[in-house]
Amino acid sequence: MNNCFVPMEAEILRADQVTKSEKHFTLRMKNGCRMDFAPGQILEASLFGFGEIPLGFASSPTRKDSFDLVVRTVGRVSGAINKLEKGQSVFVRGPLGHGFDLDRLRGHDVLIIAGGIGLCPTRSLIQYILDRRSEFKGFKLFFGSKSPQDQLFLDDLSAWRNSPDVEYHETVDKGDPGWTGNVGVITTLFQKTKITPDTRTVICGPPIMYKFVIKELEKSGVPHNHIFVDLERRMKCGIGKCGHCQINDKYVCIDGPVFSFDQIKHLEEVFG
Amino acid sequence: MSYFFLKESDLKDFVRKLISSAPVIAPVARKNKFVFADLESPDELRLDYDITILPPKKAFFPPNQTLLSFKENKATSAIRPREQILFGVHTYDVKAIDMLDLLFAENNADNNYLANRKATTIVAMTPQAVSGRAFWESVGKTVQPNGHDALMTKIREGYVFEPRTPQGTRLTKSGIFSQASSGQLDEASKCQSEIAAKCPEKLSHSTREISDKMRASFNNEKIWHTASLDCFSCGTCNIVCPTCYCFDVQDQWNLDQVSGARYRTWDACLTEDFAKISLGPAGAENFREERAERFRHRMMRKATYLNSRLGGPACVGCGRCSEGCVPDIADPVKIINNVMES
Ligand code: SF4
Ligand code: SF4
Repeated sequence: MNNCFVPMEAEILRADQVTKSEKHFTLRMKNGCRMDFAPGQILEASLFGFGEIPLGFASSPTRKDSFDLVVRTVGRVSGAINKLEKGQSVFVRGPLGHGFDLDRLRGHDVLIIAGGIGLCPTRSLIQYILDRRSEFKGFKLFFGSKSPQDQLFLDDLSAWRNSPDVEYHETVDKGDPGWTGNVGVITTLFQKTKITPDTRTVICGPPIMYKFVIKELEKSGVPHNHIFVDLERRMKCGIGKCGHCQINDKYVCIDGPVFSFDQIKHLEEVFG
Repeated sequence: MSYFFLKESDLKDFVRKLISSAPVIAPVARKNKFVFADLESPDELRLDYDITILPPKKAFFPPNQTLLSFKENKATSAIRPREQILFGVHTYDVKAIDMLDLLFAENNADNNYLANRKATTIVAMTPQAVSGRAFWESVGKTVQPNGHDALMTKIREGYVFEPRTPQGTRLTKSGIFSQASSGQLDEASKCQSEIAAKCPEKLSHSTREISDKMRASFNNEKIWHTASLDCFSCGTCNIVCPTCYCFDVQDQWNLDQVSGARYRTWDACLTEDFAKISLGPAGAENFREERAERFRHRMMRKATYLNSRLGGPACVGCGRCSEGCVPDIADPVKIINNVMES
């Protein structure tokens, strides 16, 4: 009888310590199956004896037979996973939840706004769009992090800075002597470019960020049903049972983690 | 289906035969309270109980349930249902089981629950006594208990026994059952309405009215703040509730440090860390940091959030939370009536 809690083994093909606390893994399923996910979906990753944590896919399904995860060391499980190296295994259950509704993005201008580690799940969508660039119109990306040392995916960032396929803007809350770019909160990036009202916008970042970003989008005339938020909550089962991820009556693990803003804006608990 | 009658003097024999056929979980006395436990002998059975400390859901959703065991990098599913009989479940608790059946089956079927549930034959019982805080008569009136295999109702001479499924009918082979007379059936239905009328507490509004007003009162800070002032965030109101099904998942090593188990334990949304995530160096975010927010969340779940999925409220009026709460603030009747009057 199928037991939805039994995970599958995935082998680590690559493991890079990308910041002091974050490690970037590339994984492949041991049984040879493809992890058949959509950008924005999540999975539960675990190590036996330590436990499970929910994570968003950090790569696009358009890329190879592997997938990427970024793990930030915050507790027992993430700490244990981040000690692993190439050749070792992580155990995964997924894909889980609802990702980005690509049909609602195709054929339109797209703006992705990522704060901090929120770049990981959105990287899946960024890669997807870059791989199928002709399916989308204008593509802008805002990325904000605390400091230059906190920036993730440095190779990607430098590629995006020079890419004709994406209009990339970045900022840090606090610079350092080597930093020549923007300094300030992520909403300051709205001054750098013009957002058309037709833009489909995706937001993923720390809980505090959403309200301010949505206010800026409203100023640009972007309607609420064109705003998609990727939310994070405590999660134990990932299958809509354990109750930890609830926002009012919605379960982030099955109804989300990506929601269209108009679908949840009436929920009092949505932004904490 | 037909109705049967079992004489009081034949009850013990019937139960003895059931015990010899499969494990029987039934109400027994523990000091001055009652609990559902594996029945060793028919002499322990207390069908006159008013309420059990924990609800009978523990027969298939135990407080601590192994989901899988592991040894090094190999996991083995722990789904191993045992055929069992859950005997003497009050009708309000059957309604709660019906809700869990639906919630564990929908979206992603969770066989850790469903397999145990499927292996369980349930004999429901019309309560013979009501507990001090019961209000099951006035809550979710349009929802009838449904998942039981048979219903027993005590009348003067014995029990009217109504099988509802083939498993329920099969049980009558284990006892000296006769066809129930129409007089006995009338007596049974009279007993059913008489005991219902004895519930000491009462909701005075319809499910719909309550649901709408509760939802609309979400932002009434004063109500939730005042109601939860004395809350210890202990979670007892969740843990004793037959319709609560939140859980935590944890791993545990065996002494050998190479094998162990992943298990789930009942969890409580009233406890402080229930909705807290760690953000690493950036600190932590608790999405229900205030106890008033957690207190409100429980009531929203009971009175409104799940109604459209369940066809009624996620509270069956057992009164366990009211009795279990030390500062006595968890009583849904008091909370709901207070909101309705606001
Ligand atoms: S309402 Fe009562 S039982 Fe529930 S957590 Fe608060 S003190 Fe405990
Ligand atoms: S909320 Fe209280 S009265 Fe209602 S079912 Fe749960 S324990 Fe019983």
